Amino acid sequence: MVAQEGQRLIWFYGRECPHCKALHPVVDRFMADTGTEIVLLEVWHDDKNAQLMRKYGDKIREACGGELGVPAFYNEKTRKAICGARLAIDKIQRWADGQ
Amino acid sequence: MYENMKKRFWRCHVCGDIHFGEKPPETCPTCGFKNAFVLCDRFEADNVMKDVDYAIDTPEAVMKVWEDFTVKAAFHTWDDKQAVHDLSLGVLENRKSKGGKFCPCRITTGDREEDLKLLCPCNFNAQRTWKENGECWCGLFVKR
Repeated sequence: MVAQEGQRLIWFYGRECPHCKALHPVVDRFMADTGTEIVLLEVWHDDKNAQLMRKYGDKIREACGGELGVPAFYNEKTRKAICGARLAIDKIQRWADGQ
Repeated sequence: MYENMKKRFWRCHVCGDIHFGEKPPETCPTCGFKNAFVLCDRFEADNVMKDVDYAIDTPEAVMKVWEDFTVKAAFHTWDDKQAVHDLSLGVLENRKSKGGKFCPCRITTGDREEDLKLLCPCNFNAQRTWKENGECWCGLFVKR
C-alpha cells in the first residue's frame, strides 16, 4: 500500500549522480528484504520533485553538511533526513524506523 | 564567494588579456608585462572577447579540464573513471537544461547567486566531506 503524502519515506536522487547510481541497488535490496516502501524521486529531471526537495531543504541541508545534495533520504513522518554517499543499510534502517 | 558586485574587468593594455576580479594581477599571465592592467567596463571586455568562440561541451573536453585542474594540485580526480565519465555527462546535461555545469550531486535552488556556487568545480574546500573524508561532495576530487 502506498503511503500518503506527509507519511512517506523518500529517497531523493539524481540520474547522473554516481553515488546515487551505486546506492540504487542497496535501496532496492533494502525495500525487498524489509518490505519497506521508499518513494524514489529524481530531482534533476523533474521540477516537481526538486521543489519538494527544496521544501524539505532545511533538514536535508543540515544532514548534507550545509547544502542540498543527493543522495538524500527524508522521512516525512519524523522530518529526519540522512544524506551522503556512504550510507549503510543499518543506517537506512534506523532512519526508516524513525530513530 | 561570488560577490561579483565588487569585481571589475581589467584589460592588459599590452596584449588584451581580460581579468575579472577586485584587483588586477601585478604581472600579466599572458605577456608577462608588469602593471599592465587598466580598469575597463563590461562593454569593452565583451568587445575584446567577442571573437573568442570555443565550448567545453563534450565529456572528453570536460574531463580534460578536470585533469588539467588537478595537475599541480594537492588532489586528483576520482580513480573510478566510469564515475568521472558519468559526472561529465551530468554536468553537461545540467549545462544544457539548467544553463550551467552544475554538480549533478547537488540541486539548484533557483537563486542565481547560490546556484553559481554549484558550478563544477565548486569550492569544495569548505565542504564537510572534504574536511572529514578528503573528497568533494560528489567524489570527483580526492586529496592525494
